[in-house]
Amino acid sequence: MFYRLSGVHHANYVSDSRIFKVPADRNLAVFIFLIGLAAPFIIPSLYLNSYMLPWLIWTAAALGLNLVTGWAGQLHLGYAAVMAVGAYSAIHAARFGVPWEFALIIGGLTSSVIGSLFAFAALRVKGLYLALTTLAMQFVMDWVLTHSPAISGGSHASLQSPTLAFLGQDITSDTGFYYVAFGWCVLVTIFMLNLKRTGLGRALVAVREKDFAAAILGVNSFYYKILAFATSSFIAGVSGALLVATFFFLAAPEQFSVTVSIQVLAMVIVGGLGSVIGSYFGVALILLVPGLVNGLVVTVSEGLGMQINVETLAHIPNAVYGALIVIILLIEPLGLGKLYGNIRDYLMVWPFDQFKK
Amino acid sequence: MKGLTKALAVFSMVGGAMFGTQALAEPFKIGVCYDLSKAYTFATPQVAQAAQDLAKLVNMKGGIGGEPVEVIVRDHGNEPQRGIECYSKLSREGVFVFDTLSTPVSLAILPRAMEDGRILMQSLVGRGDAVDGTVFDWVYPIGPTYWGQAANDVAYIKQLHDGDLSDVKVGFVYFDYPFGQEPIEILETLSEKEGFELELYPVPLPGSDQAGVWSKVRRDKPDHVIVWMLGGAHVVASKEMQRNRIPMEKYISVNWLNEVDVANIGTDAAKGIKRGTNVVGGQDVALFKEIMTELYDNGQGSGPIEKTQDVFYNTGLAMYSIMFEAARNAVELEGLPITPTSYKAGLESLKGYDANGLMAPITVTAEDHGGGGQTRIEMWDGEAWVPQTEWISEYGDVVWDVVKESSAKYEQ
Repeated sequence: MFYRLSGVHHANYVSDSRIFKVPADRNLAVFIFLIGLAAPFIIPSLYLNSYMLPWLIWTAAALGLNLVTGWAGQLHLGYAAVMAVGAYSAIHAARFGVPWEFALIIGGLTSSVIGSLFAFAALRVKGLYLALTTLAMQFVMDWVLTHSPAISGGSHASLQSPTLAFLGQDITSDTGFYYVAFGWCVLVTIFMLNLKRTGLGRALVAVREKDFAAAILGVNSFYYKILAFATSSFIAGVSGALLVATFFFLAAPEQFSVTVSIQVLAMVIVGGLGSVIGSYFGVALILLVPGLVNGLVVTVSEGLGMQINVETLAHIPNAVYGALIVIILLIEPLGLGKLYGNIRDYLMVWPFDQFKK
Repeated sequence: MKGLTKALAVFSMVGGAMFGTQALAEPFKIGVCYDLSKAYTFATPQVAQAAQDLAKLVNMKGGIGGEPVEVIVRDHGNEPQRGIECYSKLSREGVFVFDTLSTPVSLAILPRAMEDGRILMQSLVGRGDAVDGTVFDWVYPIGPTYWGQAANDVAYIKQLHDGDLSDVKVGFVYFDYPFGQEPIEILETLSEKEGFELELYPVPLPGSDQAGVWSKVRRDKPDHVIVWMLGGAHVVASKEMQRNRIPMEKYISVNWLNEVDVANIGTDAAKGIKRGTNVVGGQDVALFKEIMTELYDNGQGSGPIEKTQDVFYNTGLAMYSIMFEAARNAVELEGLPITPTSYKAGLESLKGYDANGLMAPITVTAEDHGGGGQTRIEMWDGEAWVPQTEWISEYGDVVWDVVKESSAKYEQ
C-alpha cells in the first residue's frame, strides 16, 4: 500500500546493484533532497542556522567515521583529532591566500596523510588495542594544539577563519553557509550510498567480518584498512574545515577535543553501524536533542509556573537525553537506522504480508 | 528524518510562543548562557544565583528606568555548538547582552557578536586581548585579564621584597593548557625587567597528580609560587605542599579559589594561602546584606543560602551589578528603550564604579574594555580573608604590549 510492492525480487544483476532497490525509497530520497534545497525558504533562520547547518556537517563527518567503523569495522577514538588537522590546515592555507576550494582540498589531504600515517602504526594491532592507539592519537593532537601557538593561533589558542569564498564569490549569508553544508553532506551521502555497490565496499565488509578470511579470498586487508582510514580522514578533514568556516568562524582546540571524538562515535553507534540514514538520525539525536530537550523542559516548567532551580533545570535534560539513548539501544541495538529499517520492512508489503503468514 | 527534527522544532517554537505571550512589559533582558552541567559547575551555580537574586532586587526597587529586568539562564553544557544555539535563540527574542562564563563558548560566540553588534560580556573568561576596545568593539571582559592578574601578583611580591626582586625566585605552577599557559609570556617579560628568576611547573590535566611538580618545587626552593589552577587541584596541591614541607604562605592562587576549596583543604591547614581577587569576599558587603534582608530572610532567594557563602557568589554580584549599572547609565544617556549602542555607551561611561564597595573600582573606556584590571591579594587567616594590598593594577605598559600584539592577530 505504501510502497506498492509485493516484495523485493531481483531478476537480474543490474536491478540487484541499484542504489535504491525500491522505487518508493528513491522517491522519498528525491523528496527529502528537494526539501533540503528549499529549506532556506521554508525553515526559520534560527532553525536553519543553529540546527540544520551543524546537523548536516556533523552528518558528513559521522558518515566518514561510519566508513572506517561501520564498514571496515575498525574502532576509531581519535576522529575529532583528524577533523582538527583538516580544519587547521585548511584555515592556515586560506589565511595564507590559497583560494578556499583548494584550501579545503589541502585540509582533506593533510588529514588523509596524517590519518593514514597514523593508521600505518596503529593497524599493527587490532580491536580494543587499535581503539586505544587511536585515542593516543587524539591526545597527541590535543597536546600539539595547546602547545604550538604557531598552529593554534595565539591568545587562548583561537584561530580566526577568513571569509569563505567559492569561485570568487564571498559567502557571508546564512543561506550561503547552509548550501555549502548541504552540498558537502549530499556529496558524502552519494559517495557512501555508492560505496556498498563497489568492489571497495565489498572488500571493506569482508575485512570487517573477518580479516584473515578476507585475506584467504585474496583481499589485502591491511591495504583496505589503510584505504578506509585515508578516505574517512579526508571526509573528516573537509568536514572539520567546513565546520569552522561556516559555523564556528574560528578554530579552538576545545572544538576538537576527546569528548567530541566520543560524541561522533556515539552518533555512529546510536545511528547504526554501516547505515547511511542511521548517521543522519544518530547525529540528530546526539547533537540536537540535548538542546531541544533543554528548551522543552524550560518551556514546560515556565508554562506550568514552576520555580525550578537553574541547576536542576540544567540536569533534567541530561537525564532525559541519557535515558533516551539507553531506551533506543535497548529497543534496537543496531541503532536508529535499523529502527527505521524495521518500520520500513513492516510497511513494505503491508497489508498483504498478513495473508502470507 | 527531517520531519522528525522539524516536528520537534515546530513543537518548541509553539512552546516558545506560548511563553512569549505571558511576558507583558518588555523587560531589559540579559542572556545568561552558562555551563551548569559540565566543566564550569564549580562556579556557575553561584554566579547564576547571584544574577537572579540581583535581578529580583533591582525589580523590587522599581527596575531600571521603570522597566523590569530579566536574566534568562540557560545551560549549554560547555559545548560551543549549544552556546551558539543559545545565543541565536535568545538574540531572536530580543536579547542583546550575553554572558557565557565559559572560554570555549565565549570564543565560539565572539565572531557572531562582533558581526551582529551584540554585547558579549566575558568577565574572567575568553580571550584576554578582547580588553582592546579598538579591535573588539562589542566585547567587554570587565575585570582583570589573566595577564593583568599575574602582573599584579608580581607587583605584590615586589612590595614584599621592598621593591627589589633581583635575588627572588618565583615559581609558576599552571594547568598545561591555554588557561594556565596564558600568563607565561607576561611573567617571562617581567622576570627580564625586574630581574627575578622564574621557574615553570606545568601540571597535566586534570591536576589530580602533582607529586612530581611539588617535589621539584621543594628542590628549587622558590620564594613564592604563583598558581593557575582550579577547584580540586588546589586541594591536591596543598596536600603535596604539606608533604614537602612547603609553607602555605608561598602559595598565591589565581582568583579561582573559593570557600569550598578552603574547606576541602581544611580551614586550619589552609592558613596563609593567598589569592588574587577583584571582588571583596565574605558577607560583610553592603549589597550582600541587602540581598539577605530583602530576599533570603523572606524566603525569596533564588537558591539555597549555602551557595551565597562563596566568593563566586560575590563575583556574580559584581559582574551583574556592572551590567545593571551600565543599563542605568544607558537610560540616563539616551533614554528608553535600551539599544545595543546605548548600552555600549552606558558601559563606556562607567567611571570608578565599585558597586558600593563590593569590588575593585572599574573605569571602562572605548579603548579599555577591561575596566582597569585592578586586583588585590588576600590571605586566609584561618577564619577570613585578610587583604594584603590595596586595589592595584601594575605594569600596565607590559600588559598592554601583550594585549596589542595579540589583538593585532585577530584583525589580520
